Amino acid sequence: MSDVELLKTVKADKVVDARGTSCPGPLLAAKKAIGEISDGQTMEVLSADEGTRRDIPKWCDKKGYKYLGTLEESGYFRIFLQK
Amino acid sequence: MANKKLTLALYSGSVDKLTAAGVILGGAAAEDMDVEIFVLLQAAFAFKKENAMTNDRVAELPDKKDEFLASLKRLNTPHWTEAFKTAKEMTNVKVHICGFAGKVWNGFKLDDFIDLADDICGIGEYISSAENADVNLFI
Repeated sequence: MSDVELLKTVKADKVVDARGTSCPGPLLAAKKAIGEISDGQTMEVLSADEGTRRDIPKWCDKKGYKYLGTLEESGYFRIFLQK
Repeated sequence: MANKKLTLALYSGSVDKLTAAGVILGGAAAEDMDVEIFVLLQAAFAFKKENAMTNDRVAELPDKKDEFLASLKRLNTPHWTEAFKTAKEMTNVKVHICGFAGKVWNGFKLDDFIDLADDICGIGEYISSAENADVNLFI
């Protein structure tokens, strides 16, 4: 199974829909929401902001979270990470 | 490990640059940076209670002002005061009004400025803080 196919099977413990905001809105929404999940749980951030798909992996790296990958949908991105 | 520190010498009183500052603050907040903002000269005008929400001056591309402001609205961009407030809620942000700048705009006490302001200080405090910062910006 490819990484993309694998990612499509992920059922995130928390989904954050930040498609109505621009940078840095999705990143801040992710930061707010990360406090609401436990270590090992997964989160999916929905963002229509191109910059966010690059920011979230960097943010994960700095904060010690595991970036799982991004799925590109029509007009937005599904960005997955694990706390 | 101690948080990284950002100091921001905020000189501009224009909404385009204040909005940019708000975006940068959001990035700093996401990374839990400690932030100290020093409100200098023209920025002190924008921080006056009577000006914060009505001031719509832009510093760059003044002929595109209407398009710029309309785009901010279309993109649901929060007003710069809201962006600053969000950052303050999410990380350690202190807003210092330069005493000299305040006087330039007839702001003599903290109560003359919006609630984002934490205190009034001298420039020495900025220099001391910037000396110990990981990132120092002038806007």
